Amino acid sequence: MYRLALNMLFGDRAKLAMLLCGLAFSALLMAQQSSVFFGIMSWTYTPMVNIRAQVWVSDPMVEQVNDAKPLRDTDLGRVRSVDGVAWAAPLHTSFVQARMEDGNFKLITLVGIDADTFAGAPAVLTQGRIEDLRLPDTVIVDEWGAALMGRMTVGPDGKPRSIPLQVGDTFEINDIQARIVGICKVKRAFTGGPFVYTTYDRAKGYTLGARRTLSFMLVEPQKGVTPAELCDRIERDTGLKAWTADTVIWSWGERSLARNTFWWFWTNTGIPFSFGTAVLLGLFVGIAISGQTFYSFVLENLKYFAAIKAMGAGMGVIARMLFVQAFTAGLIGFGLGAGMAQGIGRVMIEKGMPPFVMYPQILWATFALVLGISFVSALIGIIKVSRVDAASVFRG
Amino acid sequence: MSHLAHTVALRASGVDMFFGTQENQVVALRQADFEARRGELIMLVGPSGCGKTTLLSVIAGTLTPQAGSVEVFGQRLDGLGQEELTAFRRKHLGFVFQSFNLIPTLTVMENVMVTLLIQGRPYDEAHARTLAIIDKVGLKGREESRPNALSGGQQQRVAIARALVHEPPLLICDEPTSALDKDTGGHIMQLVRDLSRSPERCVVVVTHDHRIFRFADRIAEMEDGRISRVVDDPKLLDTTHL
Ligand SMILES: Nc1ncnc2c1ncn2[C@@H]1O[C@H](COP(=O)(O)OP(=O)(O)OP(=O)(O)O)[C@@H](O)[C@H]1O
Ligand SMILES: [Mg+2]
Repeated sequence: MYRLALNMLFGDRAKLAMLLCGLAFSALLMAQQSSVFFGIMSWTYTPMVNIRAQVWVSDPMVEQVNDAKPLRDTDLGRVRSVDGVAWAAPLHTSFVQARMEDGNFKLITLVGIDADTFAGAPAVLTQGRIEDLRLPDTVIVDEWGAALMGRMTVGPDGKPRSIPLQVGDTFEINDIQARIVGICKVKRAFTGGPFVYTTYDRAKGYTLGARRTLSFMLVEPQKGVTPAELCDRIERDTGLKAWTADTVIWSWGERSLARNTFWWFWTNTGIPFSFGTAVLLGLFVGIAISGQTFYSFVLENLKYFAAIKAMGAGMGVIARMLFVQAFTAGLIGFGLGAGMAQGIGRVMIEKGMPPFVMYPQILWATFALVLGISFVSALIGIIKVSRVDAASVFRG
Repeated sequence: MSHLAHTVALRASGVDMFFGTQENQVVALRQADFEARRGELIMLVGPSGCGKTTLLSVIAGTLTPQAGSVEVFGQRLDGLGQEELTAFRRKHLGFVFQSFNLIPTLTVMENVMVTLLIQGRPYDEAHARTLAIIDKVGLKGREESRPNALSGGQQQRVAIARALVHEPPLLICDEPTSALDKDTGGHIMQLVRDLSRSPERCVVVVTHDHRIFRFADRIAEMEDGRISRVVDDPKLLDTTHL
């Protein structure tokens, strides 16, 4: 009977195509919208991804990574003396204006890292070497920023175009020269402009006005000490706040700075709400479309199911037939939709740094939703068939 | 004829069937009594709207009458629950619906196989038996066609094959030959009649088609929701309204 149920489903190519399009489109919509949502939300804790360290230490009042409250330089010594600390390095982060050669100003995220250890340095350099940061007046700029801060010229076609900054180009931060010695690949941030890396000491110079420049301390635990344990010890011994650096939404712990940043944005800004609403809208539209397409498929076959019922098929058999049809259609529809969503995501990622994070969990949730919708539609169909008067099939 | 052949295969007595509510009530059956014997082919004739289809539905257990009782091969239908009625139909009944109700997305083969698969027959057995019955109704070679690709008469033959394939004790046909030409109709009726020739079997055929009256053992005339007369010879029928 299941074979026949499937043949009924696949028998009408045009209707099947409609049904699958509906299911695929809704799966696409749900997966895509959620991925963009998590992508955007992941931008809020970008510094956690770009500046790599196991434990972050901050002022006790700090709530999230984009809002640093300066520490005293002497705090570094206090943290270093906590039992279990392998090393601790200073980190400066601030939003400052950079003045381009053409006189334009751009907002940048200035990151000052320890010149001895280079703790917090970008993971991937596409041009240059990290050691060159030890040369005077040097910075490393991220790829995206290099394009954004590019020099405007007139192209051969007479149209203005921007040439990305190269190693050797210069700009100014607070009237102090910054010479590019490297281009790095980092994740884009939600709050500020491009990431500009320099040394911690030079960052002090670039931000002349600032009284204190120690934004965070990056700490490495000794072997055998977990980041969470070390956080406890640092907080107990210094009264400062210590965070773990895990950035994976599904596994981050209470102490994760990324997690606290995520929820800080969630509760303190309208941004997640408005994006969240878009996601929900996508979900509703998806549910409506796939529910509607599957339901109309069921309605069209109602008459034939009634005939099968009159011929003596029990509701159990009919229910199983409908479920087989629903789950098959749901499975194929989901596969198509999820495939498309992934394809679109890949294209977006190739074209730049989009807010697009398709966690496997998103796919699972979409899968569950599409199957859930198919299940409910099949259930409604089953109720309809069970109510349909078997005698109706005798009438013309 | 044997003694068994005269024993009752199905009996409906005192059946009342109303549709609708108080104000616009339609009386489809009024104190209808009907009896068919084992091994016979009985026809049910009468003007449109007299209640033939309704009576078939009551016999098939798809309609529950407001009054009266129905007994099929010793089994009383009143008092049976939905699932029991379904099981009863599966075991005892074959149907040819007035509108064929073939499933358009399935092939001829699959449409016929449905009957056997509902019975829980294995696919391979169902396949073999279906091939044989399709050959008998003269549709060999069209097994893989879809119903819409067939003429009305061919579709009707598919419907008949579907009703016959499991050799049901009670076969119920509503206008089985209406779309068939004389020869094909005769051929099909011969098949149906052969099927009825067993004390375990009985065939009830509703028809307007006087060309096939000769296949009937008896003919019951219906009028205004009840059986008015049962005759053994078609010539005795009042055919003015047919
Ligand atoms: N479900 C229903 N609801 C309301 N009225 C019905 C219903 N089914 C049948 N009727 C009415 O009951 C009467 C008998 O109908 P039935 O279909 O049994 O006639 P019939 O003898 O089979 O006619 P035909 O030869 O045209 O097929 C008709 O008046 C019809 O309108
Ligand atoms: Mg009728």
